[in-house]
Amino acid sequence: MEDLKLQYVPTWCLGCGNFGILNALKKAFSLLDVQPEQLALVTGIGCSSKISQYVNTYRIETLHGRSLPVATGVKLANHQLTVIAEGGDGDGMGLGIGHFIHTARRNLDITYIIHNNQIYGLTKGQASPTSDLGAITKFTPPPQGNVEQPINIVQMALQAGATWVGRSTAADPQLADYMVQAVKHKGFAVLDILQPCVSFNHVNTYKWYQDRVYRLETVPDYDAGDYAKAAAVASQWGEKIPIGVIYRTERRIFEDSLPQLANRPLVEQPLDNISISLLMDELA
Amino acid sequence: MWRKPFTVMFGGPAGYGIMSAGTMIAKAGGRNGLWAFVVNEYPSLIKGGLNTCTVSFDDKPVKAHEERLDFLGALSQEALDQNYEKLGHEAAILYDSDTVEPNLARIPAGVKLYPVKLLGSLAGEAAKVMANSAMVGAFCALAAFPLEIIASIMKSEFKKESVLQQNLSLLQQAFDQTKQQFVEHKAFPLAFQCDGKKKMLLNGNDAIAMAAIKAGVKFAAGYPMTPGSSVLTYLADHGAEYGLVFKQAEDEIAAVNMLIGAGFAGVRAIGSTSGGGFALMTEALGFAALGEVPLVIVEAQRGGPSTGLPTRTAQADLNFVAYASQGEFPRIIVAPGDIEECFVETFRLFNLVEKYQVPGIILTDKYLADSTVTHLYFDDQNLRIERGKLVDEAWLSEHQPYRRYAITPDGVSSRAIPGQKGGRHIVTSYTHGEDGFYSSGNREYAEKEPQVTAAGIDKLFNKVPAMLQDIPAVKLHGPQEAELTVIAWGSSKGAVLEAISAVNQEGRSVNFLQILYPSPFPAEAVQTVLQSSKKTLVVEGNKTAQLAMMIRAHTGFAADAIYLKYDSRAFVPSLLITKIKEVLG
Repeated sequence: MEDLKLQYVPTWCLGCGNFGILNALKKAFSLLDVQPEQLALVTGIGCSSKISQYVNTYRIETLHGRSLPVATGVKLANHQLTVIAEGGDGDGMGLGIGHFIHTARRNLDITYIIHNNQIYGLTKGQASPTSDLGAITKFTPPPQGNVEQPINIVQMALQAGATWVGRSTAADPQLADYMVQAVKHKGFAVLDILQPCVSFNHVNTYKWYQDRVYRLETVPDYDAGDYAKAAAVASQWGEKIPIGVIYRTERRIFEDSLPQLANRPLVEQPLDNISISLLMDELA
Repeated sequence: MWRKPFTVMFGGPAGYGIMSAGTMIAKAGGRNGLWAFVVNEYPSLIKGGLNTCTVSFDDKPVKAHEERLDFLGALSQEALDQNYEKLGHEAAILYDSDTVEPNLARIPAGVKLYPVKLLGSLAGEAAKVMANSAMVGAFCALAAFPLEIIASIMKSEFKKESVLQQNLSLLQQAFDQTKQQFVEHKAFPLAFQCDGKKKMLLNGNDAIAMAAIKAGVKFAAGYPMTPGSSVLTYLADHGAEYGLVFKQAEDEIAAVNMLIGAGFAGVRAIGSTSGGGFALMTEALGFAALGEVPLVIVEAQRGGPSTGLPTRTAQADLNFVAYASQGEFPRIIVAPGDIEECFVETFRLFNLVEKYQVPGIILTDKYLADSTVTHLYFDDQNLRIERGKLVDEAWLSEHQPYRRYAITPDGVSSRAIPGQKGGRHIVTSYTHGEDGFYSSGNREYAEKEPQVTAAGIDKLFNKVPAMLQDIPAVKLHGPQEAELTVIAWGSSKGAVLEAISAVNQEGRSVNFLQILYPSPFPAEAVQTVLQSSKKTLVVEGNKTAQLAMMIRAHTGFAADAIYLKYDSRAFVPSLLITKIKEVLG
């Protein structure tokens, strides 16, 4: 855990949910028993994506919205790495929504952690794709506020084919455990973390979430392996918000469809004396 | 004396095997002492329309095609109607006697007509699919092209025995019937022989893909876009045997970001697209540059702007790729002029992008990407993969603390990759200091931000002097001193070479300055040549003289004449000869 520390002090606002998520992430890394050299953290751009500046693994802080294709490239180049993509709701559900859906249907063995505060923080308070109906933001002023149906991340993940779907909150003492489960899952795992933005979202506060969340593990008969149940639970939002492991299933990961990866990762393929004689013969 | 190659055009609707007919005679010629240059023209549709395949033969390598036909084979009315102007004086027209009606008023004097039942020789769909074999059979009879070498090509191309037999019998039948009906048009003007040379028939995209494999590329990503896609198709087909993974992405933005991920993880990576796809890649191009992640993107130009002309050629994206993406950063652009350069320079570019940790762009166009040419086997014996300052764990253990972006005299820092002990770092799209940390957001950096920012930009540009030393950016073809210097880039190379050779054979003195690597712009090398030029003519496939303006911006030198062509078709030698003579006066 100490080894994951860096000298830079996070620039997040006092009370920001990102602190809780950073601590949970470090805890999860230490629980995972993976060498920090074997961890590749891929983030987008935004307040939450800055998390890659504060944890000492291999990291790539990509463009806004593009963490998942970069993570895909990293994973395919070296599938022995533990690859985690991370970023905000704006980054992932705005520019990144197409990548999110396609990465989910591919089912690469990548974990995608979304810090979901339902607002654009770093650009100072515009509506996000997950902002609630009626949300008043800089770009959705009164009287109507946001008039677009928000994206429900867990529902979208389920639809798109993610094989592990969970939700937690930035203040959840079990957050690190969910992270560990998500990373250990073989396949594309999506963890939606509800997180207050103390500066720009004065509706969806710590208390707002606290008053609404209930843990699925406490629901008798809830079976995360049952797609129909998961779909019903995933659709809930508003008065009651489920947290916990919503869905998990087994499906062949993309990497396993590639015989090229069977013996060694691409990065370890030998490069000496590659012969193209047969390729030339074929065109003769 | 310079003479035009012997040129055969086959034309017909898409789906009638026009291109495979052309490929077949080109391959047959190539295996029997001849050299061919095959240009396919086709509209962006699946069935119907007019596809043409033009095969130029000579007894020496053909550098460019010529639009003056010695033989036209027409499987549709359009194939004839759209090509009257291209007929040479003593050309032969072979056409399907049932469906094509020649307009006698438009047939030049000396041209002979050969109506043969080509489509009606079989019933139904098979007629369409195999009419090309009948056409080739009739062609052999009229042009005195040896039938047996076509048959031998068919035997190696058709995998299914029944299909082979049907095609062979149709070939023979059309040959016999034509022989009965007509006397041979003319003796074939070139001698067939076994020259013992190992030759391929391939296009620019094949050559790029083969070089990428040779260069140790293990990851490719892309989204279909003509005429860039066939690099990816080649790698999808042949990559697995070489441990290469090709991933079709959801769009070009995803594709280029996957390449960045693979490059970050230490794998050589390539993407291929055209202008529209490259437009989507531009933001990530800057990320690759600032993050110093090596990668290579092929941009095969087509007609534009916008969707433009998907299946036609242009050279109008030079400015676009040279200046694409926000901010300022160096990039290496190579514009190969022929198949050989597609192969050799692609290989070289992979070494360069790792040595300098910059993005590389291979700028081709439809004409080069898609035209197939008889070419000797590549000489790949002396090609060595060089990975620049890619370090290992032993190096890292002796160089702690490791800083990914350490400032060095040549601007290039040691590169560690994920998995290595002692190399943990952050690659970021933010302006950053030597340790990769954000120069603005981190309070530790805040007070020295202006210095860190300028140093970071200087670091990128400090790579350029060595790059320019390293890159064979220009080539001077022809005499050292000349009355006229033609300046061109990319796929017009072949037509320019043919044209200057023709003019020089008439006693004039013209040379050709080829700009092979337009970025970073080789100002000094260009200046050196231009200082001793008496007169210059810039030749480009665009409207705004992009290279001429670039030369002017970097050297202050204004060309004496500029010849631009932006009608979606490639330059041909005869047009250039006329222009060169006009400028020479």
